[in-house]
Amino acid sequence: MEIQVSDLLVGLLVLVLGLVGLYLASGALDDEIYIFGLGLALFAAVFDIGLVKRHYDRMQAAQAEAKRHV
Amino acid sequence: MSDLAFATAAVPARLPVEYNEAIVKKFLIASVFWGIVAFLVGIYLATELCWPSFNLGLSFLNFGRLRPVHTSAGIFAFGGNALFATSLYVVQRTCRTRLFGGDALADFLFWGYNFFIVMAALSYVLGYSRSQEYSEPEWHITLFLVLVWVLYAVVFIGTLLLREEPHIYVANWFYLAFILTVAVLVLGNNAELPVSVFSAKSYVVYSGVQNALVQWWYGHNAVGFFLTAGFLGMMYYFIPKQANRPIYSYRLSIVHFWSLIFLYIWAGPHHLHWTSLPDWTQTLGMAFSIMLWMPSWGGMINGLMTLSGAWDKLRTDPALRFSVTAVGFYGMSTFEGPMMSIRDVNALSHYTDWTIGHVHSGVLGWVAFISFGAFYYLVPALWKRSGIYSSRLIAWHYWIATLGIVFYISSMWVAGIMQGLMWRAYDQFGFLQYSFAESVVAVHPYYVIRLLGGLLFLIGALIMVYNLIMTVRSPSTARQEATLPSGVAVAGG
Repeated sequence: MEIQVSDLLVGLLVLVLGLVGLYLASGALDDEIYIFGLGLALFAAVFDIGLVKRHYDRMQAAQAEAKRHV
Repeated sequence: MSDLAFATAAVPARLPVEYNEAIVKKFLIASVFWGIVAFLVGIYLATELCWPSFNLGLSFLNFGRLRPVHTSAGIFAFGGNALFATSLYVVQRTCRTRLFGGDALADFLFWGYNFFIVMAALSYVLGYSRSQEYSEPEWHITLFLVLVWVLYAVVFIGTLLLREEPHIYVANWFYLAFILTVAVLVLGNNAELPVSVFSAKSYVVYSGVQNALVQWWYGHNAVGFFLTAGFLGMMYYFIPKQANRPIYSYRLSIVHFWSLIFLYIWAGPHHLHWTSLPDWTQTLGMAFSIMLWMPSWGGMINGLMTLSGAWDKLRTDPALRFSVTAVGFYGMSTFEGPMMSIRDVNALSHYTDWTIGHVHSGVLGWVAFISFGAFYYLVPALWKRSGIYSSRLIAWHYWIATLGIVFYISSMWVAGIMQGLMWRAYDQFGFLQYSFAESVVAVHPYYVIRLLGGLLFLIGALIMVYNLIMTVRSPSTARQEATLPSGVAVAGG
């Protein structure tokens, strides 16, 4: 099963956001930027893991469907 | 050629479209959740205003920090998620196509927008704020919102461009105006420079009265385009669907759209009457506000008259009652707003609780009621149920919430006019007759009545939550007939 282009683009965008979050947290001058930076990194990690999970869920569902028709 | 064959040849077969309903469900659930949060925080704040010691001496519970949590939860979290849910539902149905950009992008809109809400609320509680009403988030949170919002526009406009229907239904025009204008407003009002990329503090490029003018250009159009245009999109789709009738006048809806869009954008200066803003600018804001009566009432008449010949449905369908009452409140608050924008009326009403009453007649009566009407329509449709679990509970919700609004707005009218009159009263020697503290003591009973009104509104909303959960879960609402697979619906349905 091929990776969907939109999944890939959104996944990469969120990856960049996560890195920006880590960068902000690393040099934070106040609590707000520190919390926001770490929050953004966590958001990105969870979102991208969810994206990968849904990809494999779809792949398994497609395989199961194909087996049912054999 | 037989009749059947002719019909088949004339009307091309329509394949079922697999809509993205999962994203609509997510936004709908988030809207209901944030609605309860907004009402709860509002009640806590109303309690603090009655008895200030309820802030418990904790900095993060004081009125100044929680007030933007309440307004943002109400407008951007509850209202925003409702607008996302309904706009993404309506644009798919009326364009007969699945959302543009794929499921991952739609998911990013949902999680990204709600991440923005959580981060904004957290920053207010921690004491970080731009101190500009309805525009409190600092630069980094706003920048993230702009990214989400641009992608929202991409998804919405992309879906419109891919439409299988030749016509763009009027509800989409209102949603599109809401999306585009909010983007322009946020960018315009947040032209600012951070102290450092690693610091939350930023300074806006405008200063003094220019800053105030830009802020209220933003602030009033947040009301006009977020709380009005977007929810009018909801009205133009869901009232005809609930009443099972076409819009009273499609031509009037187009006139309503263009006149509202043209006039609203100039009305902001009425928030700055009797300030250092030049008089001609104040008069301009007032004149455009008064002109807004026409499109607002044109839209209200169009919404109400859609029920021509179907008024009996109000007796049997309490969900429709919510939507129609919302249109009534829309008419009432859009009458009151222009009246309050008249400079001499504003001299009495400004800085008083009359303004709070006016805002809540709009957000509770119009925004919340039209959303509740849409929720009661959408939940059975999205979860493929035969109907709402209990019409009786909808009726209870309706009457309790309506009573709550009446308590809220009438107490604030009385309190506000009393405050205005007390502040301007002079004795025979030309001294102020009352101290400010005396006006605070005088409004206390009305603050308690307002708290009672808010409590009633919350109780109504909790009844709705129970009713919606039971609609999804109860076997009594299961559909008997064979259904299409989840997410698949016959086009145009």
